Amino acid sequence: MEQKLRQEAKELLEQNKVDWIIGFEPGSLKFTATPLITRDKDDTERLVINPFMVNNLADFLTGLKGRVGIVAKGCDSRSIVSLIQDNKLAREDVVILAVPCPGLIDLAKIEKLVGKDRDELDDITREGDKVIVKVEGKKKEFTTTQVLFDHCLACELPTPQEYDILLGEVRPPAPELEVSEQNIAKLKETPTAERWEFWKNEFSRCIRCYACRNACPACFCQRCFVEETEPQWVMPVPRWQDNLIFQIVRNIHVAGRCTDCGECERVCPVNIPLRSLSREMYDIVDELFSFKSGMDKEALPLMAHYEQEEAEDLFR
Amino acid sequence: MTQQSEWEPKLLGFLCRWCSYAGADLAGISRKKYPANIRIIKVPCSSRVDSLFIIKALRLGFDGVLISGCHPGECHYLTGNYRARRRIAITKKFLEYLGVEPQRIQASWVSASEGGKFAEVVSEVTEGLKEVGPNQLFSERKLNGTKAKAGSQRTTRAEQG
Amino acid sequence: MANKKVSKKDIAGLLEQWSQQFAVLVPSKESGVAAMAEWDGKDTSFLDWYRNTVVPPKASFLPPMEEMFRFQKGEEGYNIEPPPKAERNQLIFGIRPCDARAMAILDMTFKQTLEDPYYLSKRNSAVLVGLGCTNPYESCFCTSMGTSPTDSTNVDLMLIDIGDEFLIEEVTEKGKELIAKTKGLKEVTKDDEAKATQSKKTAYDRVTRKLNTEGIKDRLLASFDDEGFWEKTAAKCIGCGICTLLCPTCYCFDISDEMVKQEGTRFRSWDSCSFPLYTKMPMENPRQEKWQRVRQKVCHKYEFYPMTFNVIACTGCGRCIRLCPVNWDITQVIESVPTKTGVKK
Repeated sequence: MEQKLRQEAKELLEQNKVDWIIGFEPGSLKFTATPLITRDKDDTERLVINPFMVNNLADFLTGLKGRVGIVAKGCDSRSIVSLIQDNKLAREDVVILAVPCPGLIDLAKIEKLVGKDRDELDDITREGDKVIVKVEGKKKEFTTTQVLFDHCLACELPTPQEYDILLGEVRPPAPELEVSEQNIAKLKETPTAERWEFWKNEFSRCIRCYACRNACPACFCQRCFVEETEPQWVMPVPRWQDNLIFQIVRNIHVAGRCTDCGECERVCPVNIPLRSLSREMYDIVDELFSFKSGMDKEALPLMAHYEQEEAEDLFR
Repeated sequence: MTQQSEWEPKLLGFLCRWCSYAGADLAGISRKKYPANIRIIKVPCSSRVDSLFIIKALRLGFDGVLISGCHPGECHYLTGNYRARRRIAITKKFLEYLGVEPQRIQASWVSASEGGKFAEVVSEVTEGLKEVGPNQLFSERKLNGTKAKAGSQRTTRAEQG
Repeated sequence: MANKKVSKKDIAGLLEQWSQQFAVLVPSKESGVAAMAEWDGKDTSFLDWYRNTVVPPKASFLPPMEEMFRFQKGEEGYNIEPPPKAERNQLIFGIRPCDARAMAILDMTFKQTLEDPYYLSKRNSAVLVGLGCTNPYESCFCTSMGTSPTDSTNVDLMLIDIGDEFLIEEVTEKGKELIAKTKGLKEVTKDDEAKATQSKKTAYDRVTRKLNTEGIKDRLLASFDDEGFWEKTAAKCIGCGICTLLCPTCYCFDISDEMVKQEGTRFRSWDSCSFPLYTKMPMENPRQEKWQRVRQKVCHKYEFYPMTFNVIACTGCGRCIRLCPVNWDITQVIESVPTKTGVKK
């Protein structure tokens, strides 16, 4: 499949069908792939398909001028479709190289289960629904349910529906919703007074790096509300109050465009469980308005659409 | 520290200029009594209200926020209140999940001729806020009333509860 | 230099004694995030898992947010209230040599021309007890940046792992004084010294990542206008602040006032040159494009700081590589900076 990808990508550039190719190349750390963004057809030789292609490459689309050939997993393709729905991107300006995704391995989960950091592991391989970790000469076996990202466990679209070139066999969805939403379920079991305390505590660690916002394809505002000084909604000071407000409003602002790609939680350097916020918003949007972002490029965005009768029980 | 019995909730109301604000006016002219806890901001349409405003209001110390607009189908700008409806709905549910008391965020449809309804809504919402108590969400105090651990950062006046 | 040692199981006793006089900070983990935090009085399990913190020790002297003063507006002007002094001086236990060197590099900025009282009041009164590495990350490259996993140059005391014990190297007068008052220490044998030498060598060899910084200052100077190179370099950067905020030598800050009616507070908080508004001025923003900000970040560390202070503002701690969401790697970038011949100084 890698060979086919490299071939296709090269041809797209050679035939001037695209100006950019976005994909993955091997990273500089173990078990890492890193985005490759290039106009040079020779660079396409470095493109790879491996179990560590975690980034949502759709994040780069709003920053590039011109037509783009982009490697997309299912979740990425939903973000691309969401951008098309938002009119930020024209369908004809993007060539989607679809990679059916078996779910990606969360290194943080493995680190927790094995008790060692990722650079101390010898190898990680996947055989069907088993993941085998070689560490200190010994083999440890885990099920995919134990080590895949939570958002991968909930995946409703492993293979892009919207694509131009398919690189692999279509994978049907097989979501494990209960496992994937364990953290949210646990929160819902705690009394509401304690929940706010929980978030207060989590956001005391936030340093306002904005990695969550910048890694999110749905956050493409030229000037984010946190950068506004007239009026100043949020202070640039990383107090938990300001941090919490930032994240709450960010989630509301991307509601209906968030595809639960899980990037926000993955990139957070201080391990704030951001997906417990974004996934809940995702579920709220589905529950109230039967809307799933990025599934239908003809559909109107959530906030641009309305039904005559809905959500009336929340209003006096 | 104020006594519980002396405390009066502060309610911030966003009223749409075409319907709800006029309805509030009518309540006044008709001498309908309603609690003076509400402070009103006039907006052109209920959809002017970004969720950001609601949360900023809570941050500033308001005990509750009321957004009121035209009935669905009667918006002066045709579809504004439909947008607001979606936006307010997800905001309410999301904040509830986070642990904000649901009584703090309220929304209503009040038309220009519904002076009585406006007075009722404000009374009911204010009662709800009295039950829920002062907004301590963004103070350094823990919600059960105990003082937070003495940390190295002093709090601003807004946070001292 | 060294003449004392302590058993690993006696570390708690050591910390307890020091806690009488200092606010002792040790590596702590909250939700899997390692950071220096005040010792809880009993837990020394960090000796099992500690490699390095996510939040660098600069946070103890230049915290993510800091109150500079409070003010009240009166009839005759403003009344300024300085922040309360910390009750006790800090003792940072377990600082790594890369971070300690970074502290020395930070000092240059905060002492230049004007001495920063907020930083220096904490820094000058603090005691740094270093802990030599035994298990460097794959992202570490300190040995290429003028230091080593067991370098004691910038700490008051350096602890070297010799098995069940730590050898204590007394480095500064402050360190010597502290050790003189400390009970529960043992004398060091020739065997211990040999173990320490071996431990240092083993740690040094375990740092596999290398970076050749020869001529980097001039190469960067020559590449300043190479927009093509910088565009390529910046392509995958998402412009967050992780690499800068969590870099032990980065020091950019923002100052903001919060005022409610007649009183308010002035805060200092971490800022990053990666943010687009960092250089925004009323009429223009000289770093409006992402590639310009990435260029700034690289050049500041490897060209401008050396020009002013004769030292590269990077100690090879590897946090930026480890924590970057897109695996943007400074060592790869530095290696790829084009060499040009015939550069005029």
